[in-house]
Amino acid sequence: MQAETIDYIKFSTISPLLIKKMSVAKLTTSDPYNEDGYPIDGGLMDQRLGVIDPGLKCKTCGGRAKTCQGHFGHIELVRPVIHPEFAKTIFLLLQSTCASCHRLLLTEAHVNEIRPVIKEFVSGEEEVSTVDIGTLTNTISEQDSRMLLIKKLKAVKKCPHCEAVQPKIKLERPTFFYMNGNKLKPDEIRDWLTKIPDGDLKLLGIDTTATRPEWLILTTLLVPPVNVRPSITLESGERSEDDLTHKLVDILRINQRLEQDIDAGAPQIIIDDLWELLQYQVTTYFNNETPGVPVARHKSTRPLKTLAQRLKGKEGRLRYNLSGKRVNFSARTVISSDSNLTINQVGIPRRIAENLTVPLYVTLWNIDEAKKFLENKEYPTILNVIMKDGIRKRVTEVNRDELLKGLAPGQILERQLVDGDIALFNRQPTLHRLSIMAHIVKVLPGRTMRLNAAIALPYNADFDGDEMNLHVPQSLEAQAEARYLMQPKDQILSPKDGRPMAFLQEDEILGIYFLTKDDTYFNKEDACSLLANIGIYELPKASKGGVYSGKAVFSMLLPKGLEFRVTGKDEKAVIKDGELEDGTISEKMVGTGGTLIAKVFEDFGSDVAIKFMSQMSRLALGLVLKKGMSISIKDYYNSEAMNQKRAEIVKTIEAKAREIVVKYKEKKLEPLPGYTRKETLELVLMAQLEEARRLGENELNEFSSVKNNAFLIAKVKARGSILNYVQTSIFLGQQSIRGRRPSRGFAKRVLPYFRKGDTSPDAKGFIKSSFFDGLKPTEFYMHAMGARDSQMTKSLITAVSGYLQRRLVNAMQDFYVDKNLSVKDASGALVQILYGGDGVDPTKEYIKYGK
Amino acid sequence: MKQEDNVSVAPGEAVGVVAAQSIGEPGTQMVLRTFHTAGITSVVTTKGLPRIIEIVDARKRPKFPIMRIWPEKEIAKRYEKVREIWRKVEEVKTSAVISNFEEDLKAGTMLLHLDREKMGLYELSAKTIISKISKKEGTDASMAGDDIIKVKYKAKSVEATRKAFVEILGMAIVGIKGIIKANVQQADDGSFYITTSGSNMEEVINVEGVDKDMLYSNDIFEVYRVYGIEAARNIIAYELTEVIKDEGFTVSQRHIALVADGMTFTGKIKSIGRHGVAGEKESVFARAAYEETVKHFTNASFFGERDMLKGVAENIIIGKQIGLGTGLVKLEVKKEDLKKIKPKND
Repeated sequence: MQAETIDYIKFSTISPLLIKKMSVAKLTTSDPYNEDGYPIDGGLMDQRLGVIDPGLKCKTCGGRAKTCQGHFGHIELVRPVIHPEFAKTIFLLLQSTCASCHRLLLTEAHVNEIRPVIKEFVSGEEEVSTVDIGTLTNTISEQDSRMLLIKKLKAVKKCPHCEAVQPKIKLERPTFFYMNGNKLKPDEIRDWLTKIPDGDLKLLGIDTTATRPEWLILTTLLVPPVNVRPSITLESGERSEDDLTHKLVDILRINQRLEQDIDAGAPQIIIDDLWELLQYQVTTYFNNETPGVPVARHKSTRPLKTLAQRLKGKEGRLRYNLSGKRVNFSARTVISSDSNLTINQVGIPRRIAENLTVPLYVTLWNIDEAKKFLENKEYPTILNVIMKDGIRKRVTEVNRDELLKGLAPGQILERQLVDGDIALFNRQPTLHRLSIMAHIVKVLPGRTMRLNAAIALPYNADFDGDEMNLHVPQSLEAQAEARYLMQPKDQILSPKDGRPMAFLQEDEILGIYFLTKDDTYFNKEDACSLLANIGIYELPKASKGGVYSGKAVFSMLLPKGLEFRVTGKDEKAVIKDGELEDGTISEKMVGTGGTLIAKVFEDFGSDVAIKFMSQMSRLALGLVLKKGMSISIKDYYNSEAMNQKRAEIVKTIEAKAREIVVKYKEKKLEPLPGYTRKETLELVLMAQLEEARRLGENELNEFSSVKNNAFLIAKVKARGSILNYVQTSIFLGQQSIRGRRPSRGFAKRVLPYFRKGDTSPDAKGFIKSSFFDGLKPTEFYMHAMGARDSQMTKSLITAVSGYLQRRLVNAMQDFYVDKNLSVKDASGALVQILYGGDGVDPTKEYIKYGK
Repeated sequence: MKQEDNVSVAPGEAVGVVAAQSIGEPGTQMVLRTFHTAGITSVVTTKGLPRIIEIVDARKRPKFPIMRIWPEKEIAKRYEKVREIWRKVEEVKTSAVISNFEEDLKAGTMLLHLDREKMGLYELSAKTIISKISKKEGTDASMAGDDIIKVKYKAKSVEATRKAFVEILGMAIVGIKGIIKANVQQADDGSFYITTSGSNMEEVINVEGVDKDMLYSNDIFEVYRVYGIEAARNIIAYELTEVIKDEGFTVSQRHIALVADGMTFTGKIKSIGRHGVAGEKESVFARAAYEETVKHFTNASFFGERDMLKGVAENIIIGKQIGLGTGLVKLEVKKEDLKKIKPKND
């Protein structure tokens, strides 16, 4: 539900007067409870501050735990203390006002004179020039103009109003002030600040209705209500108080002692010590991480979580509870794939569907439908009835008949989730908008949520134990938005580059390859069953001999009028008027980033494209299922000829490496620009040794054929890469650490198994063995080093890029397209006159401009 | 059934978030490519994610500044002329043209053994070197043998002498400060141009024969100082495009343009982050929810700031619908239309 309209929120500091007005109780006793465990009046758990125990009544408002929002109390501090978070502000104010007449150290004319200059500096160049107005000659580096003005005042030596020479003010972190080396007590500062006239503060940009500087010196302390700092009763019956309560107890205790000592006329030193202690307690009450202050700890040595800690950071109030909120009507479980679902569907386990609900607003039109649901004793039934007066009643067998009788328009029924409902589906990390899409619910047996594998790509999901979240929109408005804007069929064109984000994968690609390669023919029976499986009950034109070519079968899926042509070195496909005439459909066309799928999207729209894809997927899977595919260790076995060739490659690589080293030693190696000779050697060697893998690839291409299944799946890019194959069968190749060859370890050598200064490739991580043969001990170490390095960089860069993402989103989240297609930010500032220069939606770029 | 009509963006579209995601999302994937061949290029620059961060952070100076200098059209195809520009541009230090040196700190003399081969490379004569060195106050340089220059420096202490000698060795004989290395290259159309490591637009632009309209540097602030904010915007967009293309991703130009515009639309370059765009937002809540929560709240209360609750973050915080996307528009039903709806009588 919408919050009531708030026009704006104004921030201000609270005056001591306002604190007293807000307060319902003056707190004086440091013990919150008496011997019986009952809250003491004037203690921190004073019952006037609100209730947290169910069953008790608030002494101020008479409300119960749920209805009473709590009431503030206050502590009167015997001696004033400085608000630690404002210490710096106070310091600047002291510096900018006269010590004797307390006026601003500038005349009004001066301020007006300096203003435009400051503005110029803030918006223009920095650090370069100096302001030269009167005595003000100082470089400007600060960003905030108001603060800037205050800072400049430091330079003034004499008050322009009373001509008094200004003393030197020093701030010693966190809260101690010195004037010409003598300590300034908080009460003295308070007197000073009180005397600064309103008019002068206005010149500094301070709103005196929001803040009078003397309010920054605390004389009364606002105590939050108990429900802000609830105490917990442990199982043992012991009470455990909140960290804030602990801190407030400390403050009260010191405050009491200070009062007693002052009344008893204790020596000034003792009073000052206690005063300082009170300052410390208040400082840590506001922020327990104030620099230069020892951290206040709990009995268990755990640092206390005080006010600033509650707000700050990822787990703080703002980011954890306000920017991100907990929600109801959501579910989370493991996902698995189901090719029988469309990409717009999501399979929901029955257990989840039984617990999630959708409100059914009873009207004259749907009262019969509502009745049917309410009558049901099992699954698609009503869980709760919300009566017209807003009271929620749980439906039980006892009251079902009664509720049925009372059913009337205006009531809201909470109905279990059924097929056809809409739900938002999400996988974390939610890196782009395609990570949350709306799916049509399909209730299924089992315990996992299911989705079509083709739509796993935008979520970046796989099925090795990934979990995903489901949210059921409750309001009709939200449901409509989800249904008409957020379904995969409407989102599948990625806003990143306007290309589709759903493709065939793995087995499907293999299936399409089998289907469309040149020598695939089916007899009538097989062709029928393949096509019937995907709901096509016609046969294509038979070729000679009454058989049906795979290409013809595939063409049944293509939309009429499709023109597509790829003629490359490695792949070829010619589609004319929806008929595959020549070539084989490859991964490049239907796999990730596929050109054929993109083409269908562009020319025929998402509905046709999605239908095409799901038919293609099921056809391919059907074929693979029939044909079968497996790889074995045999596929990685090298023939004698291959082993010979491998030895040859290693030999040439080693020879080339030796050549480079010799060249280096003879000082004939030209250094690359920007590098020393030694670095150049490393770079050249590295490039040369990495070349080995390419040679290995060539060897494989030369010796292996598609009869080798492991080679086949890599070649058609269904699974694995040629590099995987090279590493299993030929050799691992050069290992790298931070983009270089391994170089550290022992003196002049990486491992103690090499001679010092060994220049052979193996000594620096060139691995000549394959996974099939097994690694030599030295190679094993090198490999482990490389693996560790890549693990570390991976985890490091995910952290870095995650932060980049957060920064980008935070900086630009308010930018939106206005009615005239200009881009504006939250304050209405114009960012772009026409979005993207042409006002075109990124998902429609291809429609407008083509490739 | 081609869908060529209506290709314009929907008003209300949260293009900022979309742009941010479109650039951030490939960033996470730049990690996973472990095996990429390290190509050896003549000019060293930062690449990949670090470069994106460098641009977006609006660093005062890139780690590896580079320039491309195009000669004026008339001389572009004449190698000799381009070579002349090159000679004026590349900074050659004293230490680069000598093979070794001997110093006698007590006597305050230093012998520079000239490397004729290197001098030939930069087309320098001993005379120019001597005259350059002599320009330093208190220094006296003269030939002392065929390939030896004798440098004298009068100073009070040994330390001061040593300091002066180090300075002389690091002194630029010819060229422009900051241009560490320059190479003449040939473009496809046969014209020559110069690529450099190190950047100094302010001075290169004044070199005779340099095409002022084609001068390129990857230093955003330098471009801003020399050519202004529009040029800086274009550099940001161009550099981002290049990095992303380099990593093998395709990102629509409009997202990159929006980031560049977001960084520059105020007329000065603002970084994406705490000290830039995100940290200077109007809304107190938006700033506090991002970083430095306590600082923003205390300052806001001291100055009596108002949060007008216009942006996304603020409205999420107070639990109101955001004013973007479908939240930009409100639907109203006419009262008389409501009356037209009548339930069936049964």
